[in-house]
Amino acid sequence: MMRHTFKLFHIWVWGSTLLLLAATGTVIGFLLVRGWAGIGRELVFGETPVLAALMLQRPVFDGLFPAMVGTFALVLLSVGMALPVGLATGIYLAEYATGRLYFLLSLFFDILAGMPSIVVGLFGFSITIFLHHRFSGNIYPCLFISALSLAVLVLPYLIRTTQAALEAISPDLRLIGPSLGATRFQNIFHVLVPHSLKGLLSGILLAIGRCAEDTAVIMLTGVVVSAGIPKSLWGNFEALPFYIYYVSAQYADADELTRGYGAAIILLLLCAFLFGIAFWLQRRLSQRMFERV
Amino acid sequence: MLHNSLKMFVIMFFSIPLLFFASMPVTHADPLAAFEGMKGEIKISGGTAHIPVMKAAAKAIMSANPEVRISIAGGGSGVGIKQVGEGLVDIGNSGRQPTEGEVSKYGLKMFKWAIDGVAVVVHPQNGVKALTESQLKEIFSGKISNWKLLGGPDKAINLYTRDAASGTREVFWQKALGKGEILDKANVVVSNGAMKAAISNDPYGIGYVSVGHIDDSVSAVALDGVAPTMESVLSGDYPVARGLFSNTKGDPGPLTQSFLDFLFSPAGQAIVRDSGFIPVK
Amino acid sequence: MTRSEFLTKYSFMAAAIMSAAVPLAIFIFMALLGYPILTSGRLLGTLLGAWDPIHQSYGILPMIIGTFILAILAVAAAFPVCLGCAALVSDAAPGPVGRFLHAVVRMMTGIPTVVYGFVGIFLLVPVIREAFGGGSGFSLLTAALMLALLVSPTMILLFCDSFGRVAHTYRQAAAALGATTAQLFFFVVLPQARNGILAGVLLGLGRALGDTMIALMLAGNAVAFPDHVFDSARTLTAHIALIIAADFDSPEFRTLFLCGLTLYVLTTLLVLFVRLTMRLQGKRP
Repeated sequence: MMRHTFKLFHIWVWGSTLLLLAATGTVIGFLLVRGWAGIGRELVFGETPVLAALMLQRPVFDGLFPAMVGTFALVLLSVGMALPVGLATGIYLAEYATGRLYFLLSLFFDILAGMPSIVVGLFGFSITIFLHHRFSGNIYPCLFISALSLAVLVLPYLIRTTQAALEAISPDLRLIGPSLGATRFQNIFHVLVPHSLKGLLSGILLAIGRCAEDTAVIMLTGVVVSAGIPKSLWGNFEALPFYIYYVSAQYADADELTRGYGAAIILLLLCAFLFGIAFWLQRRLSQRMFERV
Repeated sequence: MLHNSLKMFVIMFFSIPLLFFASMPVTHADPLAAFEGMKGEIKISGGTAHIPVMKAAAKAIMSANPEVRISIAGGGSGVGIKQVGEGLVDIGNSGRQPTEGEVSKYGLKMFKWAIDGVAVVVHPQNGVKALTESQLKEIFSGKISNWKLLGGPDKAINLYTRDAASGTREVFWQKALGKGEILDKANVVVSNGAMKAAISNDPYGIGYVSVGHIDDSVSAVALDGVAPTMESVLSGDYPVARGLFSNTKGDPGPLTQSFLDFLFSPAGQAIVRDSGFIPVK
Repeated sequence: MTRSEFLTKYSFMAAAIMSAAVPLAIFIFMALLGYPILTSGRLLGTLLGAWDPIHQSYGILPMIIGTFILAILAVAAAFPVCLGCAALVSDAAPGPVGRFLHAVVRMMTGIPTVVYGFVGIFLLVPVIREAFGGGSGFSLLTAALMLALLVSPTMILLFCDSFGRVAHTYRQAAAALGATTAQLFFFVVLPQARNGILAGVLLGLGRALGDTMIALMLAGNAVAFPDHVFDSARTLTAHIALIIAADFDSPEFRTLFLCGLTLYVLTTLLVLFVRLTMRLQGKRP
């Protein structure tokens, strides 16, 4: 009887893991097999010469370049907007907040973290309508609104990782600053934050990855099929994940489908890269902590 | 002598108009030249059938003049009309004529630059090539739910339909189905391209798509004996036809007018023809 | 405290309050724009009716049902696999293998949902269509399978976390009594980690409820009430994405905000449940 449960248990745990790995491997492998042939200069730049496209002299048609630039701009803007607020909030939670306020704030941030991305997108869209009717008729879904909505989406990530990174600092370290006569702020700015930089960085990378891959939010706040390189904050733009969605549903011909596969591979690699570094940094951080204990 | 004078007279009579016309400046010889020196953005949204033409036109214009930016979105005819009416876009495309209500509510100006049809499509390997209107109604309402009732394999019929904002759907529902019911279990796809992709991948599917979008990946079904082709749509034999419209709110601005002129120019109409639609010129 | 200390404390607090205001603002905007429906007395009709614009019916019940069935299916399918995998990673596998697998699972959390949807359309849909003879291949089942794959890494990591929290002394005691790994797992770790597992399931459920792309691309988006798993169905999230382009003031449009509110309420409830279970375990989330 015991031997059987022992065997069954091992079959179950190994079987589940292998099943999961096989399924994920199939997903990734399928993409690579179907899309690898399409990867190349033409995938990104179409028929436009690379230098002319990079110098923004000539527009790129039938290539991923505009979508890649769009994603890049989105990420830059949204993380740029979310970072100061998220960082400050995380610092506040870790260093200043106590009791009731801490509880309430944490609850709100948990709620925000669990929010479906389409609801965040709907929020961004509602803001657009609101501003459009109340303030200026010139306000439409655009790059800025998308970036703002994405900032809302990744705010909880930044808050949490900042808070965790700061809270992980050992008590001894926290005493250094005050023991030398530093103010609280000086302590935070000169001792604690630099010490938790790795954790902060991993949070930033996670936020970048999340912004790069999200589709639902941008679908509702300004991304379009074809718009070229984003030239203004208030205009439409293209983005990599939306391109993938669009192609999967409505590819016009085999070439476009191959481009879709290529786009999926690029996005996958990008996210894998970002998440990989983020986790490596996090691990380094926790290793350091164990050494101290 | 009189003979010669008569000859002279005839020659003069016919040559003067020729000289007259030859000396006239040829206006709009190159529609792309109209964009010279212009800069700005044209925002287009709406009907998904129009998108291939919009993209090709945008490519031609933007290649010649990179200062002009054209952004193209889909969404369906309802969306195009609504967005151009609200001033969100410069051109709202629709695959159906805007209703009187819409025209008066938004002050729309309509420009029809192509004629298109809406055809029933199935997978290329599907043996069913012709249907009657009553069969079509029963298929889409769910009464006929298996291909074997139509002489095909014993497999359920997978229905595909379009979303509510679609002009293609509106035309199909009115003219091919006679406002009949579309089963609520039908899969909903969001554009002509999506319909084509769905049908070409599903051997037991049936749907409807713009005639201009039909290629080897799907097979068109004849309705009441008439096959949907460019010729039959043009001649009127195939009844499920519609115009492709670009609508603006009031009179178009200079940049938008140039774009519309391009669509009506020989180059633009050639793009229309290449995309599988029937040019109006 | 000094002036500058005062300033810094309150500027940080301002940032925190601004951040906390965001989820509130989201709720307020949804309520504001959905106001006509909430107050018109049509609320119940919208929540409980069917979606049939031609006959003036704008009910979102089919979508609510679709959302629930999809999320529950996905988590139910993922749960045994995730539990087994987590057991392997934290207990049953030898040290280096366990750590390696943990890293692999962490990497898996980074796969974008749109990629899952993309592969689902071209790989899974034809398989489901042919293998099960069920419909067009776009169905709740198809979406549920892909969704299970999506939420699995997160659930596994959460399970591993809660297994790891089981006190070392318990494990040592069991080992000293000669327990096998299986017995250790079932009789020591699992009961101790019960609350953590529940929290993991709830969070996975939240993720599954809130996903848009997989449901939009794979579930078929039919407006009918789903009868069985091979039916094409629509979720609240896909519904929002599909209708967003419609009329600004139409009743169809207003129902979007009701969908948004429903999703908001559902995920908030889940978050509260999670907090409760963690609290019962005596841990701070």
